[in-house]
This record gives sequence, C-alpha cells and structure tokens, in this order.
Amino acid sequence: MDGRRNRFALGRSAAAGLLAGTLVGSTILVIVGSAIAQGTADSTDPYIEATHLPRLLTTAGAVDLEYDAYCIDPALDEAESSCDVTGSAFVRPGTSGHFRELPLVRDGGTSRLVARVPTSIASSREGFTYYAEIEAESQSAAVTLPAGGASAPHRSLPLGRTIQIDLGTHRFGESTRADERVVAAAWGDGPNEAGLEQGRNGAPIGASAFDVDASGTVVLLDQAHGRLLRWSHDARSPTLVPVEVDGTLADMTLARDGTVYVLESASRAGRTPLVRRFDSDGRSLGSTETAEARWSQIRHAPGGPVVLQQPSQQWMPVAAAGSLVGPEDQRRRGRSGRPHGDGTEVIVFRHDNEIRIALVGTAGVHRSWRITSETALAEVQLAEPLGNHLVLVARVYTDDRDQFLVLVLDRSGVKQSFALESAEWAETAPLARFRLAGSSLFQFGSTSAGVFVDRFDLEVK
Amino acid sequence: MSGTRVFLISFAIASCLAAAGTASAYHTRFIANNCNYAAPTPTPYITRDGSIAVALRARHEGYQWGGGCWNDNNVDDSPGDPQENAGTGGEGADCSGFTFKVWRESETESNAGFYQWGMFRHVHGPYTAARFKAGEGAPNISVSKSALIKMDALAKSGHIGMIYATNTDGTDQIIEAKGEAYGTNIWTRTYRGDSNYGGVRRTGWS
Repeated sequence: MDGRRNRFALGRSAAAGLLAGTLVGSTILVIVGSAIAQGTADSTDPYIEATHLPRLLTTAGAVDLEYDAYCIDPALDEAESSCDVTGSAFVRPGTSGHFRELPLVRDGGTSRLVARVPTSIASSREGFTYYAEIEAESQSAAVTLPAGGASAPHRSLPLGRTIQIDLGTHRFGESTRADERVVAAAWGDGPNEAGLEQGRNGAPIGASAFDVDASGTVVLLDQAHGRLLRWSHDARSPTLVPVEVDGTLADMTLARDGTVYVLESASRAGRTPLVRRFDSDGRSLGSTETAEARWSQIRHAPGGPVVLQQPSQQWMPVAAAGSLVGPEDQRRRGRSGRPHGDGTEVIVFRHDNEIRIALVGTAGVHRSWRITSETALAEVQLAEPLGNHLVLVARVYTDDRDQFLVLVLDRSGVKQSFALESAEWAETAPLARFRLAGSSLFQFGSTSAGVFVDRFDLEVK
Repeated sequence: MSGTRVFLISFAIASCLAAAGTASAYHTRFIANNCNYAAPTPTPYITRDGSIAVALRARHEGYQWGGGCWNDNNVDDSPGDPQENAGTGGEGADCSGFTFKVWRESETESNAGFYQWGMFRHVHGPYTAARFKAGEGAPNISVSKSALIKMDALAKSGHIGMIYATNTDGTDQIIEAKGEAYGTNIWTRTYRGDSNYGGVRRTGWS
C-alpha cells in the first residue's frame, strides 16, 4: 500500500517535473533563441564612413585634400537619408610644429569635402603633414583620418627630381618563362593538394597567400583546409602544418625566425580582422585585431610585420619587439611608407595611369621614380628595394587582357623589365601574388588544375 | 527517481528540443519572418552618394544565394546557410541581388527608372552577375574598366561588386555580398585589373 502510494506520488512528481521542466526549458530557450534570431538590438547610433586618397607624393601646383564622407543615421528612413557632416583638415609644413586648421568645404551637393592647402605649406621643401576630423553636424558621430590624427598624420612629400619612365603602350602576349617552378599542387583535399573554399562552383577562391624565406622554403596558406603547405628547397612534397584560421581569404608573411603571421579578412560588426601568429609548427602564439576594418597587405619589416590598412591608407605595425601590437598602438604608429631594412621607407602612389615611388629617409626623398603608361595600370603588387635597385611589379590591363609587368629600377631608369601572365584562376588575398627573396622574384599563380609558385632570377645582386 | 531529477532531465531534453527548433528557425525563417513583397517606390532621381548610404546599411548582414532582404542590426541572422541554395530563406542578398537593390533597378528589364525597394523587400532582380557584365537590361551598360568611378561595378561570371573607393596602391575598396562565410561588407580587391572582370555602370544618375 505504502509502496503503491509512493509509486503514485513518484509518478505525480515525475509528471509535474516533466511538465515544469518542459515549460521552463522551452520558455527560456525560446526567449534566448528569439534574441539571437533577431540579432542584437538594432544599432541606432549614427556613424560616419570616410575615405581619402592621401596626397603622398606631389609635384608642383595646388594641392587639394579631398574626403568623401557618408553619415548614416539608422533611425532615419533608408531612402538616401543621411546626416550632414562637417569637418576640418589640420596641416603643417614638415613634420613638427603646430597644425593649421583648414575648414573642409562641401563640393556642391555631393559627399565630398575639400580643403586647399595654402601654397606656403604645400610648397615646403620638407613637404607637409596633415590629418582631418570629420563629424556629424549633430556631433553624434566623428572620424579622424588617418586614425592616429596628430600622432600619426599623413606625410606628403614633394617628388623632387624624379626619374621619369614612360612605358608607352604595353604589348600583351610576350611573357617570360620562369627559371624554375618551385611549387606545384593540384586542387583537392589530399596531403599534397590545395583547397578551394567552395569547391569549383561559383567564383573559385583558394590558397590565399604565400611567402618565401631566406633559404628558399616556400610556405603556402591553404585556408580552406586550415593548414600551411611548406616546401623546403628541392622538396618534392610539402610538409603539412595545421593552423587555426577562419578559412576565409587571408594574407600572410614569414618572420626571419619562422614565425608565421596570418591576416584574415572576415570580421563581425564592431570588430576588425584578426592577425594570428603561429610558430613554425603551427602552434598559436596569440592574435591581435587590426586597427582598421580593411587592409590590402601584410609584409615583413625590420621591427616586425606591418599591415597597409584602410581607410587610413597607412602601414601600421601589428607586432614589434616580439609582442603583438593592439589597435590603439597601431593607429599611433601609422606611416605613409613601408619600412625597410636599410632605414628607408618606400612610398607608393598609383593614380590613374601613373605610379609614383619614392625611397624616403630621414632627410626626405632621396630617390624617386615617376612611371607613366599609355596602357591602364592597376594595382602595384610589389615595390621593394634590392641593393641599389628597386623591384616593382604592377599590373597592366585592358578590358579583356592583363599581365604583370616587372621593372627593376635604378638611377638611370629601367635596368630590367619583363612581363608575366597573371595566372589567377582562383582568387587570393589582393596583393599576395609576388614575393622577393634574395635576388629572385617568386610568383604565385593558379590554373583550373591547381596552384604553382615560379621563381624568376633577376639580373641584379 | 525523484521529482527533482525528473525535472532536471526533462529540462535538459526540452532545452535540446527548443534549441534545435530555434536553430532550425535561425537558418531558414528569416525571410518568412521579416521580409515583404511590397511594390517598390518609384524614385525620380538618385545619386551615387545616396546609393552608398543604402549599401552601407547592408554591411555585416548575411549572404543569401538568390536573396535580397536584410535588416540593419549588423548581425548575420542566418549564418551557415548552404552556399548555393536559394531556398534556405536566410538573411541578405547575393552579389547580383545586392547590386540590383543598391542600384535601385526595376524588375522589368526594359525599364531604366529608379525604384526604392527597402531593406526588408525580398527581391533579387532579373540579373545574374554575368548578365550585369554583359550590360543587359535598360539601366545597365558595359564601361571600360579604366573609366569606372564610385559605385560603378566590376563583374564576371559568378560575381559582381561595386567600387567604394580607390587605394594608394592601386587596389579598390569594393562593397559586395561576397559569400556565406563573408556576408556583405567592404574589402580591398584587385578586380579592376583582372581580365575576368568587366566594367558595368548603372545609367541615369549623378
């Protein structure tokens, strides 16, 4: 009897527990699930997006600073609704002293804000430095460009006595054969193969980036498989090094000690892309976020890797003295040029069919080239000193053809030049196609069959 | 078995079931729960700057193959959708649907007028990336890539993105719906020089 009563009581208890547990659990999960499904609360704060093409290397004449600024107020209707912006540029001759404030004036009814640099400043032999502050008229949002403001302004230098190079009209079809194909890997999932993010469907994306160390070892980032493929010199097959990456397009660079830096591209709202650091065995050595939302490349520099970031359009260090650098410090240390081992910086500025390049030291520009072309010029893939030379790789294009043009520049102009097929069946990180190691240029390309790295020995030491 | 234990077990089972149900909704119900099929509003005139204001609101939202509806909460509300399945009902546009909406085009290909669709209007439009590249449809023309300016597009078979800004190194900042793993955002790309890509312009705006 007692047993039956107990079983009955237990049964009632279990039924009550089942009912209560189901109700409470479902309620909590529905509430949590709904919150997730709806995302977080809608962002209602106005924000400003601004772009600016820095006037890095100038010739004689007036200099206008132009900013395109878009103020978005999510609280307003989306039909072209935007909040008005205002702002100032702050300019000074050289690199020290007080900045002079110049109001930014709206260019007609567009989003463009403009300030003309006074001739006395624009014509300074040391060039000038500047930044801009742009804010919503309601003062509810503001941006500074470059992000470091007065601590790391843009530096505009006069091109000075420059070496003029006219490329004329490019003749497509003639390309140079590699001295050696040092790496070849088919598309696939095998140990010696490289992966495509979405398979062969749609627009192929695969094998994001590569780098070459001083010994000639080639390391390929196979982001689709979360691994590095490392080919030692003369090795027939690669060593596989698993790395924890997010699997999207990424750039990479190798430090001299074998440390690998991978710069990813996807990021959530309010966050910026991650730079992940790995030792040569693929063990994680931490990560840092970039200062800015966008980037075009990560490269090795004497103090550690630097990233060319946008919208500031500055090289910012992401690691220094063995430690990762946080976003705030990156912003404060932004520079217009990429640092190199001999104490110089290389500044590159491509605009329309012209590329301006300058080697800059503490005293300013000590050598510069001004390259013009009848054929359209696209991106500059590589610009690095090599002894007394500078190696430049830029893309020339028409509407249906393109090639990479390799120029070895010196005091007299072009010492060596040749063209390479672009060979980009699959998409990579934007400026991940070339690396310079010793006096050899390495090209990373792809076809529908797979990826390859070719070596071209340059005629300079 | 005590009532407390039964309660806890029941709670755990219910939690799993509810979570599974929520996850399922999370991946497949965005369009059904949020989007509409209202007629677009004819707009007499738009600017490139105005189209940027529309495009920027889609940043950090999701990607949906064949889709065209998003909110502005800076979250992909349907992450992990299969990449090439138009029926998953997730948030976001694909590359050509995004361009169609930002360029405010008509579903009628012979109509070059401007139409405000709104974020929550689920519409893809009649153009694939390849059709945009070919300049098909009354509003669209092919343009030499070297002449492209802000909010013109670079298109190839399988992808299209719009030019947001140009960089010092000659690359472009492209605003695009890139893929499920990326969502919609601005990235630096080298599409302009790539011979697979052609230049496309939406006509009739300033």
